Amino acid sequence: MIIIDKVFEVYPDNVSSELIAHTRHVTSVSPEGLAKAAMLDVDPDFHNKLENGKIMVAGNNFGCNSSREWAASALLHSGVKLLIAQSFARIFFRNATNIGLLIFECPNITKMAHPGDELIVDLSTGIITNKSTGKTIQGTVMPQFLLNIMTSGGLLETLKNS
Amino acid sequence: MNLVEKILAKKSGRDFVRPGDVVVADVDALLLHDLSGYITARVFEREVKKDVRFPDRVVMVFDHHFSPPNEERARILEENRAFARKYGIHLLDCGSGNIHNAAVRNGFVRPGSIVVGSDSHTPVHGTMGCFACGLGNNSHAATVLPYGKAWFKVPETIKVNLTGKNKFGVFPRDVALWLTGQIGEGGAVYKALHFTGQFIKDLDIWNRWLFPLITIDVGGKCGFIDPDEKTLALARIISKKEFEPVYSDPDCEYETIWDYEISDLEPQVAASPTLGNVKPVSEFAGRSIQWAELGGHGGGRIEDFREAARILKGRKLAPGVKFNAVPSSREVFSQALQEGIVETMFDAGCTWFPPCTGSNQAINMGAMAETESMISTHARNFPGRNGSPKAIMYLGSASTVAASAIKGHVSDPREFLE
Repeated sequence: MIIIDKVFEVYPDNVSSELIAHTRHVTSVSPEGLAKAAMLDVDPDFHNKLENGKIMVAGNNFGCNSSREWAASALLHSGVKLLIAQSFARIFFRNATNIGLLIFECPNITKMAHPGDELIVDLSTGIITNKSTGKTIQGTVMPQFLLNIMTSGGLLETLKNS
Repeated sequence: MNLVEKILAKKSGRDFVRPGDVVVADVDALLLHDLSGYITARVFEREVKKDVRFPDRVVMVFDHHFSPPNEERARILEENRAFARKYGIHLLDCGSGNIHNAAVRNGFVRPGSIVVGSDSHTPVHGTMGCFACGLGNNSHAATVLPYGKAWFKVPETIKVNLTGKNKFGVFPRDVALWLTGQIGEGGAVYKALHFTGQFIKDLDIWNRWLFPLITIDVGGKCGFIDPDEKTLALARIISKKEFEPVYSDPDCEYETIWDYEISDLEPQVAASPTLGNVKPVSEFAGRSIQWAELGGHGGGRIEDFREAARILKGRKLAPGVKFNAVPSSREVFSQALQEGIVETMFDAGCTWFPPCTGSNQAINMGAMAETESMISTHARNFPGRNGSPKAIMYLGSASTVAASAIKGHVSDPREFLE
């Protein structure tokens, strides 16, 4: 699977699941309710920036701390097409895979991708090409079993189809 | 192979696994709590529409509510109860204690097993020689409930070797807080942490408990301690079923080994906004507090109450300080009653709460206004977890909590211990 889109923002290390969708802002666990709460405490301009591209980039340990699945759901329902981080906190990694939010791990991505850059991301080979700068970088290829779950819309969808 | 690799191999029917492998393994215990059990239930009923395969392996604990504070919360608890009744899963209702303590005390956690749960502190069960980690609602609903299985990626393992002896007035919780700062938030992302060394071996089970507890907050997948006679003695008392302990091979491989010598440590305090903001107590001494609490994940143990009672005996809380005493299980409260601790702390001015997980996320207690601060034994101190994002949470040992409550500000406990 190949994703081509623009980076809308580069976020720092250790963005916690509590801040991605804080309990205070989650008034409803519906897709709309979760989207509204997304990233409010980290970046109030998140939804406006999403107009400029659908690839989100972040540093290390993205989604750390609490286990809430709705952090991943909030990003999915906001319209994030692909989330690339230098590394993910494991529960977030698992939740994103299971709900079908496309995520991709790539060390040093924050050094080579900037807001506005257009990226070509090949999830099967792990190679990211930055069309704006011409640079390429190798990310971590996800095990096929997990890639299948993620790209089929999540664990429930996968089980329904199997 | 180490303990985690051996358990994952055994439960997925393989002879061998290595880090990076993805396996589908049998789950021995699923721990749900009142905060998200009903969300799992909704996904299960609306999307999966199957029967619960092994209801006997599933337990739901109401630990964020000792009693619902409003109608909406009461409705959520009723939805949780209806789900438990319908499928015959175990329910430990309001007043049972903290999810993890209650799960152990009620025999759901046995050495050598796989324990999963909706709470992010589920890795604490590595204390009992389990492979234990937190999962999301979709994992529970889609595979654990209908098939008794889940997928796992085998993590790389780091050996965390702790040696030395803690100084007078320095407690295992100080060591655990300090270690969180040393490893750093995100310092062990996705890793398994094998806690070992003479310091760990010398601790009893409920003090060892504080180490796998920190795994999630340094980014790890699971933490574990190889079982020994202490583990097996507790397991024999609480377990209702047979169990087969698993041990790491003496020559098992690690991604890396981290050695820590703890003999020089001072009492530690971690102040908001993060657990990584941990320093010797002297750095925060003098900061005013209005609330003190023994409770939360990893807090409210009998060890905590003994430590605090030793300091509070014959003394009074500082004017304006409120002290919440929250036992982590019914057994802890009963023990505190027998030892006279309930009376000692009551006389000092403390308020006893029912067994629950305390002010954790301020669901039914423990909210603060922006001008307030608390010192506690909780596992986390992130902004907004207890009401206002401007309220401050200090984390410390039970002794530091008690000393600070007497003074009305963050204080070194050692002056009360001599």
